Amino acid sequence: MAARGHVQDPNDRRLRPIYDYLDNGNNKMAIQQADKLLKKHKDLHCAKVLKAIGLQRTGKQDEAFTLAQEVATLEPTDDNSLQALTILYREMHRPELVTKLYEAAVKKVPLSEEYHSHLFMAYARVGEYKKMQQAGMALYKIVPKNPYYFWSVMSLVMQAISAQDEKLAQTMYLPLAERMVEKMVREEKIEAEAEVQLYFMILERLGKCVEALDVIRGPLGEKLTSELQSRENKCMMLYQRLQRWPECNSLAHKLLLKNPDDWQFYPCYFDSLFHLMDDSWTPPEEGEHCVEGSVHYTVAEVVRFVEERIKGEDSKESRPLRGPYLARLELIHRLREKGCPEESQLGEPLELMLQFFGKFGDKPCCITDLKLYLHLLSPDQHIQFINRLGEAVPLGEGGEEGFAFPEDTKALQRHLCVCQLSRALGLHHALDTDGKLRLITELKAHYHHGLQFGKTSLKTELQFSDMYCLMAAHVYIDLWKENGDENMVLQCLGLLQEGLSHSPSNAQFKLLLLLLYCHLGAFEPVVDLYSSLDAKHVQHDTIGYLLTRYAESLGQFAAASQSCNFSLRFFHSNQKDTSEYIIQAYKYGAFEKIPEFIALRSRLNQSLHFAQVRTERMLLDLFLEADIVLSLEESVKAMGLSPEEDDIPWDSIRDNRDLTVFTSWDPKDRHLTEEHRRLSLEEESVWLRIRSLTLRLLASLALLGHTPSQQNSEMANENGVGDKSSILSSLLSQLDQTLQTAAQIAEKHTQYPFLGPPSTRLAPALSSGSCQCQVAALQLSVHLQELETLGLEILNKCKGDLLEMKDSRLKTWPSLLEIHVFFVETVCIVFWMASYCAKVLRPLKASLQKKKKKKKDTNTALPAVVCGFQEFTGSLQELLAQALEHIKGQETGMTALKLASFTLEGHTQEEGSFIKAAMDKVQSSYLRSLQEVGDLLKKRAETLKNLKI
Amino acid sequence: MMTTLRAFTCDDLFKFNNMVSLIPVCQYGIPFYLQYLAHWPEYFIVAEAPGGELMGYIMGKAEGSVAREEWHGHVTALSVAPEFRRLGLAAKLMEMLEEISERKGGFFVDLFVRVSNQVAVNMYKQLGYSVYRTVIEYYSASNGEPDEDAYDMRKALSRDTEKKSIIPLPHPVRPEDIE
Repeated sequence: MAARGHVQDPNDRRLRPIYDYLDNGNNKMAIQQADKLLKKHKDLHCAKVLKAIGLQRTGKQDEAFTLAQEVATLEPTDDNSLQALTILYREMHRPELVTKLYEAAVKKVPLSEEYHSHLFMAYARVGEYKKMQQAGMALYKIVPKNPYYFWSVMSLVMQAISAQDEKLAQTMYLPLAERMVEKMVREEKIEAEAEVQLYFMILERLGKCVEALDVIRGPLGEKLTSELQSRENKCMMLYQRLQRWPECNSLAHKLLLKNPDDWQFYPCYFDSLFHLMDDSWTPPEEGEHCVEGSVHYTVAEVVRFVEERIKGEDSKESRPLRGPYLARLELIHRLREKGCPEESQLGEPLELMLQFFGKFGDKPCCITDLKLYLHLLSPDQHIQFINRLGEAVPLGEGGEEGFAFPEDTKALQRHLCVCQLSRALGLHHALDTDGKLRLITELKAHYHHGLQFGKTSLKTELQFSDMYCLMAAHVYIDLWKENGDENMVLQCLGLLQEGLSHSPSNAQFKLLLLLLYCHLGAFEPVVDLYSSLDAKHVQHDTIGYLLTRYAESLGQFAAASQSCNFSLRFFHSNQKDTSEYIIQAYKYGAFEKIPEFIALRSRLNQSLHFAQVRTERMLLDLFLEADIVLSLEESVKAMGLSPEEDDIPWDSIRDNRDLTVFTSWDPKDRHLTEEHRRLSLEEESVWLRIRSLTLRLLASLALLGHTPSQQNSEMANENGVGDKSSILSSLLSQLDQTLQTAAQIAEKHTQYPFLGPPSTRLAPALSSGSCQCQVAALQLSVHLQELETLGLEILNKCKGDLLEMKDSRLKTWPSLLEIHVFFVETVCIVFWMASYCAKVLRPLKASLQKKKKKKKDTNTALPAVVCGFQEFTGSLQELLAQALEHIKGQETGMTALKLASFTLEGHTQEEGSFIKAAMDKVQSSYLRSLQEVGDLLKKRAETLKNLKI
Repeated sequence: MMTTLRAFTCDDLFKFNNMVSLIPVCQYGIPFYLQYLAHWPEYFIVAEAPGGELMGYIMGKAEGSVAREEWHGHVTALSVAPEFRRLGLAAKLMEMLEEISERKGGFFVDLFVRVSNQVAVNMYKQLGYSVYRTVIEYYSASNGEPDEDAYDMRKALSRDTEKKSIIPLPHPVRPEDIE
């Protein structure tokens, strides 16, 4: 028998079909097959685990777990069981159990390289750095391979990185790691590039730059070959940290000689010059200037160096590189900052920029480059600059409207660049209304004319003239914002829709359309626009705010849930994903990536947007379903919501929003500033705090509503209730405080650039009275009557038409839509409050009635509180009826609105049809929002009937 | 081209919004990028403009058997943002990937491209690549487009002195036949 064992393990053959079933997703058959096998072979543990996998995958988590633990307690050492359990635990999201498994296995088989290595990786998955360090050394002792030794070293570095106490990192973990590496260096055992990298990482973190420099420049540094220019880049970084300006300077100009286009070394080069000048550095009397070679320590030398690079480009046959030309402008900028008169030696910025335009004006990035240096021009040069640029653009004969058009795409790009530059200089903004309208006409003419160049381009390619269209849209927005003329925004929508029809993959068109529809309160078209942007992974975090800011507040609840889900799905997968790659980085020795992956994980976990979608998703679920589908209490429990728990990392929250996703050529004074960013984050955080406190208050309300049923446990329950109500009051006072902060923020009326971050719902939430009413509802102490008047006030603010047609002009009132949503949200909260009151009052009334019967005194009136409550629910009913009536009126009014009467003078038929389509979208979206709001109110009105006591 | 060329870091993922692919990779999520960063960090290079905007990136790997002279560099993704087109950035990034593959002792560099993407095919031809074979239905259908064939294009490196690795195959192959 024993002799047969090594031929082929018969268990492998027996288990094979179960594996196959599991692989094919046939979990039921896998379970059956496992049962069959277990009948014959009771001790075939692996079969049990495989069955558990089948159970886990069919939703029977508890059974699966019990079965797995049966095997785990036996501390298996066969490969099959271990691997199967590892898979199972991973699917259960219990990676810590894998460590237990292999801890037991290595105890039983202490010399197994494989199990020790699995143990190391299991620790890596849960971030047990100290144990990783030990496991790595244990491995190295069994099999003295370098990677194992360095796994252990890296785990020390990770302990240093994750240490709360920086002193511990600097005095214990890192020095220990350093000594471990030094031992290998002394014994000449360093083999791989990764080992040198790790050594460098340790020295760098210890601030031992001199030692690090020796390593990099010494024989060990020769191993750094994978990454291009790795040694040079590291040296440069170290010279800068050590403030060795001569070396910095010398290395930078050597690297620039090699590649005069590598931008990162120009700033190093210029910086080092100014430091050398400040230090009055002079070269040694004999020998090399420094270890890197000669040093340029005067402005004259640096100017000459840059001029020579430019000459080199000028005389080249092949296309010139932009680097040296831009470096000249950068040098002027820096010399001017420093107040150096030598600036003039380089030439007049206006002429140099004209020259740059002459060489690179036909490249789309010309504007990106030049806008960095526009401040070198004096304001009185602006017009001259634009005029002279214009002379350098070859245009054909003037057409009908007096516009001359470019004859090829290069000329088009040049003309476009001049338009972009004039906008960036503020010349567009300086125009009056008529001037702006003429500008729009001109830009549109160029846009339409330029379409001919892209007739044959693929659907995925952009049109050459798309940017004209975008710029015309920006001018429309300027006019809209200045004059409040809503016709401008409708024409803008029409133009962008037209642009999108010619260039279906232009993301900027889609983004701007999306933003404009949101500003108009029409969320319906946004859903398709966003999905056609095809946002991927991190983009859910960086641009997801565009969706989640508006969906719910504009009353499109279904879309709001969906947008939250997109983002949540991404965030949840991130946790699992990153640990897998941390392990891979260990395996491949990419040590410098490990802290980076961990930083990525926390950046995502601490994301502002993540916290927002988490909170809003739960609030939405409650608003839409609590006490309609499930009771509030059941809903709260199903969500695992606990009032005590604050899951938002307030102190380390990360604003990952990409607030520059919109292309803009606005002049500098209209750019998004750091101050805007700070204010926007502050506002978002306060609004998030209000929402999260509201959510936790609702959770505590729900649990408070769970009244004790057993008389004998009264004491215990009293304590319980006591705790709960103290949480409630603590949350209420926090909410109160937050609302005060919120009021201060709202008073600032911060205006962000139109293409910058959207304002939060905070200001309208306060001005509509919604916040105040919700707090009043949550504060039981407030008289019920007050609630009603406050609620009525919000409803009154809903009055007015969402969409109006006056003098053949359309006017939208998106803010009204927002107030409708606040009304609904508030009704939900007031309703839950009332239902809590009902729960308290019902037994009271019952007992009174009993007493009444005993006394046979039919004249005793009900206590005022009960009457008051009945009065209150009655008027709440009345309020909802009014609200529903109002929404119905809105719907009828809007359906009857004949958009066709909207006049479209001065537009071609095609333009008109695009504008008309955009208006239809707004109207349809409003109707949908009203319908969703109305539906929810109807459901609430229905359940209100249950509140009789 | 005026560019800072540096190693790609995870934080760059947050600045990706204006990127358009020359070689489609978009179906993959963060794990895809992390896998490359963990395994071949030197092959993942990003180009940054003086104003800090991301201009483009290249992502690749080294793979294949040395014994069979199939050890090579592979271009997995190459992207340039629209406003930084026509500067020779793609060529520069390709040159860097080739240089890294040279240092690793690769025999050739290869990449896959849609047969229909004439612009890209021509660009690679200009950079010295030639069609080694056609892979049938390499790109599976999406967005209503049918399955599409790919060209496997190659360029020999100095280690392949006789340029054996780029002799075109006479017949197309199926995706399951390639490694």
